[in-house]
Amino acid sequence: MIRRIGVLAALVALGGCATSKMSADQLSRVAKDWSLGIRASQVIPVYPLTEDLQPGDVFLVQASIEDQINVYLEKGFLPLENLVVRLPVSGYATFYQGYPRVEDGAKAPPRRWQFPDETGEADFSHAPLAAFPSYNFSVSRSGGLSVAVPVQAVPVGLNLLDSASADGTITFKDAYTYALPARALYDGIHQWSAQNKDYLAQFAPREEVVDGKTRERQFFLRVVNRVYLVKSVDVTLFTERASSGGLSAGVPQKVELLNLANAKETIDNFAAVNEILARAATSPSPAPASPSKPDAENAPAVAPVAVGGTLRLTMATSRSVSLTETFKRPLVIGYLASDFRILKDGNLGASAPTLNLLEGRPAYDGQVIAYVPCDANCRTIRAWLKADSRHVSELAAWLEKSGGAIAIADLETGPDALLRQRAVTELIKP
Amino acid sequence: MFMPLQPPSAQTGVPRGDVGEVVESMLLDERVRWIAIVVQDSEAGADRFEVTPWVIDPTAPSTDRT
Repeated sequence: MIRRIGVLAALVALGGCATSKMSADQLSRVAKDWSLGIRASQVIPVYPLTEDLQPGDVFLVQASIEDQINVYLEKGFLPLENLVVRLPVSGYATFYQGYPRVEDGAKAPPRRWQFPDETGEADFSHAPLAAFPSYNFSVSRSGGLSVAVPVQAVPVGLNLLDSASADGTITFKDAYTYALPARALYDGIHQWSAQNKDYLAQFAPREEVVDGKTRERQFFLRVVNRVYLVKSVDVTLFTERASSGGLSAGVPQKVELLNLANAKETIDNFAAVNEILARAATSPSPAPASPSKPDAENAPAVAPVAVGGTLRLTMATSRSVSLTETFKRPLVIGYLASDFRILKDGNLGASAPTLNLLEGRPAYDGQVIAYVPCDANCRTIRAWLKADSRHVSELAAWLEKSGGAIAIADLETGPDALLRQRAVTELIKP
Repeated sequence: MFMPLQPPSAQTGVPRGDVGEVVESMLLDERVRWIAIVVQDSEAGADRFEVTPWVIDPTAPSTDRT
């Protein structure tokens, strides 16, 4: 048994080594693959996972929408940098009326769930639940461990399987979400911007030359209004090739993790693996080559991982292994937000959902409008636009300020005849 | 010119003779790179089209777009 555990310890340690040797390309691939899974659920991914993101967080976005789209498609996520302010928002008690343990003030979400009292453990049992679909992936050690998920269970599971490649499934076991309505945040950000116009004025639109073309550079404030958190992640890995259940790694020492014919040995093996996982995660040095047999009574029930959580082996067969990774407290994996363009003199423009901007969709999902034949106001607008090329930007500015930031094409032949009338009377023929 | 407006919406029921004007208006937004013009139906002998603008490549694999 001692030699078996030695093999286990070495394999767990190898998992950590493989991860640390990832190249920059592989790491970026990790981020993108993980993010694609989250994005499929119409959520903007957070990478790396963090606890420190909540509704009311405001980020300064200095890249144009086109550049953001490129980054979003290339990397799969948007780096969260330039945190400007955390708005002192309120409104949770009203928004979650009837929900227990939701209040405003110092104990506003997520504080009451994170820190119920001075010494208590996190308790998100009263937070609104969320559910994500299972996420499938393939993993291979050839050329490095380009694992598609930022959880430790995958490299550990791969080593337990003693396989160079495997298919896997990720399931977010305990997911939560909470939010503030965009209307409440709209008030908050405008109040803050009114008090900080000097700061925002430095990010007013400005012209810049890119590839010989002059274009207007825009700056935005991105206001988070909903976050999604995950407490634990189930990882199951399958391999085509049967191992011994399975640990050998070139060492002719087989360990039968799941041997129904010998229940006691199975229980001991699982306890041994979980004890080693605990030791590998808490010790900065490699696991000892020949650890003593774990004392089942004294061994920790579950194993901590680097972020302060736990990693536990839950099932193993000759072709599969399942592990559950539990974070110490739920971590934010994704968010929703609204973008506010910073205008001249530090004022803010109309808001638009960040996700829709990134994906080039209208602010309202799936919007298709019925064509309205070009009426008199439409003809006036078209003639005015063609009279001077500068009129396009003037109309765009008017629409952003007074017309809900709809597109010019939508204004001309869309259903809002009243807005067309206003454009003519307020802008073209005042 | 870059406009901080929403991208144009798709429009349905556009008569053949008006498709050009609608496309021209959609192209005022330089983010629009693709426009699909699909025959929708025919009303009183006049063809009507659905005009759909895209600011991202609609032919790219879905995993790169969603």
